[in-house]
Amino acid sequence: MSTLLGRQGRQTAMVACFLLPSLAVFLLYRILPLGWNVWLSFQSWSPLHPAQFIGLDNYDEMLRDDDVFWTALRNTLVFMSSAPIAIVLALGIALLVNSDLRGAAIYRTIVFLSYPLMTVAVAIIWRWMYDERGGLINFVLRRLGLVDKPLAFLQSFDLAMPSVIAADVWQVLGFHMIILLTGLQSIPPHLYEAARVDGAPAWARFWRITVPMLRPSLFLCAVIGILNSFSSFDLVYVMTNGGPGHATELLITWIYKTGFGQSRFDYAAALTVAQFALLLVLTFLAHLASGGNAGERA
Amino acid sequence: MRARGMWPRHAALLVVCAIMLVPFYWVVKTSLTGENIYAYPPRLLPQAPHLFNYVDVWYLIPFPRYLLNSVIVSLLAVGGNIVLNALAAYALTRAFPGRRWVVLLLLSCMLIPFQATIIPAYLITARLGLLNSWLGLALPMLSTIVCIFVFKAAFEAVPRSLIDAARMDGLGDLRILARVLLPLCKPAIATNVILSFIWSWNNFMWPLIVTRDPLMQTLPLGLARFLSYVEDTTGALYAFVVMVLVPGLAVFLMAQKEFMRGLTAGATKG
Amino acid sequence: MKRRTFLAATTAAATLQLARPALAQSSRKISFLTWNIADAADIVNSWIADFTKARPGVEVEWLDKKGPELPAFYQTQLVAGTPPDIINTQGALGLEYAASGALLDLTPLLARQADVKARFNADYLDNWAMEGRNWMLPFYISKSLMFYNKTLFAKAGLAGPPTSFDELMNAAEKIGTGDNTGFITLNFDWLYWPLFAMNAVQLLTPDLKAPAFNTAQAADVMARLARGTQGQAVDKISWTGRWVEPLGAFAAGRIGMLQAHSPAYYFVKGQGPWVNADTLGAAQMPGNWATPNSHGLGISKGSKHPELAWEFITFITSTPQAAKLVNTRRILSANKELDAALLARLEKEEPLAAAVLRTQVEHTDRMCGNWRLAHDSRIKEAFYPELQNVMLGRKDAKTALADAERKVARELRRA
Repeated sequence: MSTLLGRQGRQTAMVACFLLPSLAVFLLYRILPLGWNVWLSFQSWSPLHPAQFIGLDNYDEMLRDDDVFWTALRNTLVFMSSAPIAIVLALGIALLVNSDLRGAAIYRTIVFLSYPLMTVAVAIIWRWMYDERGGLINFVLRRLGLVDKPLAFLQSFDLAMPSVIAADVWQVLGFHMIILLTGLQSIPPHLYEAARVDGAPAWARFWRITVPMLRPSLFLCAVIGILNSFSSFDLVYVMTNGGPGHATELLITWIYKTGFGQSRFDYAAALTVAQFALLLVLTFLAHLASGGNAGERA
Repeated sequence: MRARGMWPRHAALLVVCAIMLVPFYWVVKTSLTGENIYAYPPRLLPQAPHLFNYVDVWYLIPFPRYLLNSVIVSLLAVGGNIVLNALAAYALTRAFPGRRWVVLLLLSCMLIPFQATIIPAYLITARLGLLNSWLGLALPMLSTIVCIFVFKAAFEAVPRSLIDAARMDGLGDLRILARVLLPLCKPAIATNVILSFIWSWNNFMWPLIVTRDPLMQTLPLGLARFLSYVEDTTGALYAFVVMVLVPGLAVFLMAQKEFMRGLTAGATKG
Repeated sequence: MKRRTFLAATTAAATLQLARPALAQSSRKISFLTWNIADAADIVNSWIADFTKARPGVEVEWLDKKGPELPAFYQTQLVAGTPPDIINTQGALGLEYAASGALLDLTPLLARQADVKARFNADYLDNWAMEGRNWMLPFYISKSLMFYNKTLFAKAGLAGPPTSFDELMNAAEKIGTGDNTGFITLNFDWLYWPLFAMNAVQLLTPDLKAPAFNTAQAADVMARLARGTQGQAVDKISWTGRWVEPLGAFAAGRIGMLQAHSPAYYFVKGQGPWVNADTLGAAQMPGNWATPNSHGLGISKGSKHPELAWEFITFITSTPQAAKLVNTRRILSANKELDAALLARLEKEEPLAAAVLRTQVEHTDRMCGNWRLAHDSRIKEAFYPELQNVMLGRKDAKTALADAERKVARELRRA
């Protein structure tokens, strides 16, 4: 009995020691800044003016008076669709390259190529790709006779958002691919061998082995994907700056603009808290959808 | 028969690769010529390609110094990530009271956009006396939540019996982690290395805020030099982008062998 | 136990190794934050060398940040209580910082040194004046002008640059056929505003308290521009592009007219092999209206050595020092003597560059698009998306103007 307690005590101490360094980093750079934002959201403050408590005024403005907040919220939810698109594509690619296919390493490298590219360059190149008259996409579409009039992708209220989503998918595909590859690699091969011996067809092996075993990785990709759509600031900021007419304004670009652009850090803090709350809800939903075991194996 | 089954796969992958490569090709092409990308009709082949832009980049910014800073900061980040994340992930695979809450805390830590943390993060770093230092640059990236979960998922896939056997042999937690789990989870280590390297390597906003001394700047901050206001440096800009890309890619290439290790090992066994 | 000692030792060693600040503190040190002129390192370093040579014990730290990131850096430093002593901003940002109390009032310093004030073109100095106080000195200056493609003009049978809004739109419609478009403009920092100014549209009432733009005249202008944008008279990039895109498109030789500020010339020349005095023209926009996009030098109120900072900015804007920047970069400084000399020299060496730069010192009384407001960026954020809505066909001009009026009025009320 006493040894059992001792072991449990040791175990708790081990857990604490092992978690501590990481938690310290997160405390300093995640939790404290969040607390700062929460505090600030109830104040009136700018770098040169002392904070003054104003209660819920910032939230009141956000919810009742700021059309852009609601537009940005809607856009962010639309932009989130880049996550499932990228994940499904990445899963397909990961399955294809996770084999003894000849040249698999080359394919993997090419798919991964766009991820370490500096986002500013990605944004500049895609802006050119989408350009109405000089851009490559319109050039190809017109050569193939698919369109009579060039499409102004980034200048169109309907096309701007899908265009940005496509560029985003292009950039993050490699990231999801390697997370999923890591997951695929940790599936014990003997499971497949056993299923093959049992005569299970490929699709059955996919649904009965791959998908359940890959659930932690898929959950991770989903959370990162959602997160990415809430924080992919650079790409949208450089590609469209939230335009035209706020058509691609995301919460994060609006937070940055109100904060650093307009020196309204107090209001930006309220937006940040709102975004955090929304993400918390979404993550919780993803958590439930993955069977209530966040990042854990079923 | 097997080879024939491969053809649709190759076809699908070739299409994907073409889409992935076209924008990238233009980056490289522009870096070799410096020509106007808005030229119409688009020119497929570079005209009179040369490497001058790459040479320019080396001299236009203090390239070796920035490179050194970037390498040190990224190594710190990679080292920190492997050690800290493996420790945290191992702890999370054990049952302990409140584990669910720690997991949720970690998940919610990911949900705060960096742009909203700049000011407090700067003040904290200043309080720690780490402004303008390599450690200060690397500190926020020493552990990343995504990578903790990558490790955790991999550890959980290791058969329980192996760990129990090791414990029977009298191995402590650290040894189990270092001798049993990590060698079995090389793909997860590779992922940690690749992702933490790239994140730290490409980080732009944090070094921008936290370094005042030009000697402490990292490579991506050199970008400003090529987006300058009164000078046309288009070709050098793209050459610079390619040069910044190369180390990330090299790390990926070196680490990616580990992705396939498990599979070939499994295949020979099976 | 052993592990703990080891950890403690490595941590201590790492802290010592890594946390050592790179520069020691000196007794009198000022910092100089510039806006994206990392390419002028030789010049800036020679200023610093010359300045510190005569002042033992003085140190100048130079910081350079790219435009979009400069506000994030400066404001973080403000919060931390360590603002750079000297700050260089582009466009109207300096006025915003001044209005929010970040900058030192330079009026008494200027009053003390009449020679400094006398250096500058008064209109450009006035770019950073608010309620009779001066907040910044001109560093290097520019305002918008019209570049036009003479080849496309000739092809369309046009003799010369337009002199009214009507002529401009007609010319744009004539040029805009096939793969060509008629007109393109930069849009950041209110750079498109000359299009409205030439039609006598006012953004705000003279007291800057209320919107004044919701007029039939403004609606006509917008509707005309929007029609042009739907066709090929006006390039859509005008309303969404930043810098590289519109300039790159014009440099590709497919656009008749470009409204941009003078530095665009060097970019266009670098990217467009067709550019020479026979093919590229430079002119004032109709009505001689232009939006300034100049660079100013201000001193942070939080500076510990404001006198030294003042010495430094008067030093680098003095004729011999500013000449380094003006002559090697071929840009204007608002230093009257230097600018005249540069123009005279370019007249011989590069007449086209001289023609471009001459527009910058002419009609300096017709600068528009800068409002002396603490919350200019909020007004812009309220107005501009509605303009985009009209230009790209989501709203008609009247509705958008009414919506914009409501939003701008709200921002003015709040500010």
